[in-house]
Amino acid sequence: MEIDQHAAGTAAPPPVRIIPIPDATSAGYWEAAANHVLTVARCAVCGQTTLPPDMSCPHCHTTEPGFTFVPVEGKARVRTWTVIRRPFLQGFTPPFMLVDVELNDHPHIRMVAGLLDGAEAKLEIGTPVVVAFEDIAPKISVPAFRLEKSA
Amino acid sequence: MSRVFKARNQVALVGYAHSPAVRRATRPLGVTAIETAKAAIADAGLTVGQIDGFVSAPLLPASGEHKAQDGISIVSSHWLAQHIGADPAYAVGFQGIGQLIGSLTLAVNAIASGAADYILFHRALHNPAGSYNDNPMTEARGADQWVAPQGFYGSMPTIALAYNEYCQRYGATREALAVVVSEARKNGARIPWSAWYGKPLSVEQYLAEPTLFDPLCRYDADMPVEGVACFVLTSAERAKDLKNKPVYIAGYAIGYPRENRPMLHWTLDDMMEAGKGVAARLWRSSGLGVADIDLPQAYDGFSPFVYIWMETLGLCKLGEAHELVLSGGIDSDKPRTIPVLSGGGAIGNGRMHGVPQMLENYLQLSGRAGERQRADLTTGLSCHSTPSLGGAVVYTNDPV
Ligand SMILES: [Zn+2]
Repeated sequence: MEIDQHAAGTAAPPPVRIIPIPDATSAGYWEAAANHVLTVARCAVCGQTTLPPDMSCPHCHTTEPGFTFVPVEGKARVRTWTVIRRPFLQGFTPPFMLVDVELNDHPHIRMVAGLLDGAEAKLEIGTPVVVAFEDIAPKISVPAFRLEKSA
Repeated sequence: MSRVFKARNQVALVGYAHSPAVRRATRPLGVTAIETAKAAIADAGLTVGQIDGFVSAPLLPASGEHKAQDGISIVSSHWLAQHIGADPAYAVGFQGIGQLIGSLTLAVNAIASGAADYILFHRALHNPAGSYNDNPMTEARGADQWVAPQGFYGSMPTIALAYNEYCQRYGATREALAVVVSEARKNGARIPWSAWYGKPLSVEQYLAEPTLFDPLCRYDADMPVEGVACFVLTSAERAKDLKNKPVYIAGYAIGYPRENRPMLHWTLDDMMEAGKGVAARLWRSSGLGVADIDLPQAYDGFSPFVYIWMETLGLCKLGEAHELVLSGGIDSDKPRTIPVLSGGGAIGNGRMHGVPQMLENYLQLSGRAGERQRADLTTGLSCHSTPSLGGAVVYTNDPV
């Protein structure tokens, strides 16, 4: 028989965040993230960087890119943003802010991630942000950003 | 394509049928597809036995966890050919995004090459029960790991990000986008098979709606529907003997994403950059320029795409589409405007994936738009998806 938890007065469990499952191409990225280091994938053939790593290099198109994950400065500029008021995923409490940023030292790389300053943060194109990490489970941290002035 | 399309004006649309677009179907999608296909074949003045080609794009249009089942949630060319009792020489499906234009080019090329003489071209859209986009994942693997743990998932956030960049860069307002949506719904409300028939939406109603993915609200996305549209294509030569006025394909162009990005991260710059190539190839292919087009139909699966297409095609200057819209420049009821949503688009019809843009071109250029018929039209253009994932087709009723 099913037990109605609400009727029993049990508090709802806290939202569970979606866990990234590393694979052969991404293990280095998530390992670094667990240590609060943001990395990008560098191609062993042409030396150029990309994110996410694909099975070939998007720059020189080698099928043996031998990507290594190199740390970045972690500073970025906001290109655009949105406040999510109706998430499609579980584990996210609306409203929350997503920012789309370009990395200062790798401006061709864009990342979409949460902004930890909240949905009311005042942004414009070019607002400086720095990487921050959300520790969502033991040894699992997810990159996010924070306004540089508040960091 | 680096030159004029060799089969320019050699392939024609000669008939169509459209089922009602409904929120929830009461019969299997396959049944609706069979009946709509038969109606289109009869509309062209042909019999099933004469149809020797079947072309479609059978993608299931939902990003949540839904299963594709032929005849139930999708309808493939093979399924339709079998269930209609045809014996085709050519039955194929297009795989990928930009389904309508991708599959339409297969049909045009097949007629042009002689692979088939009469093609039944269809698009069947299923609206799965339950939420369209909700995804119950607790772990993110593969492409998902780069977006979902960060809270980025679904196409509305994607479009909200790209559109907000447009707003910030060019000063576009919610008031202008309200006019886009209202224009689509006004025109869709006049189309009997539209899911929004008789149900226009005013600018005030739009503005009263709360945003869900700032600055977008639910009215900025087309509503998922169940429905089937079919067209019949044949050669210009064979079209001469048929009952309807032919509408010829003058040319087409498709765009592709160039940048390596996480799944569903379509940036404004990526779309506009791809658009440059699409526009250049489209004009080369068709031998026409933007000033020659009487009836452009913008794709509006998400309302901001209207701006992206207007600016990609050069219907206005970069960053100025929202101003043109605010000044009444796309109002289909006013003279000397650019009525890019006269067919109601996706927002005014329901999520028929590019069908409304193609059908409005067919109806208006063949003189079959009834009470909505516009005067003095020779050329038209339909846009599909985004410039980086879809493309555009040019039509004419007066091949030179
Ligand atoms: Zn490389």
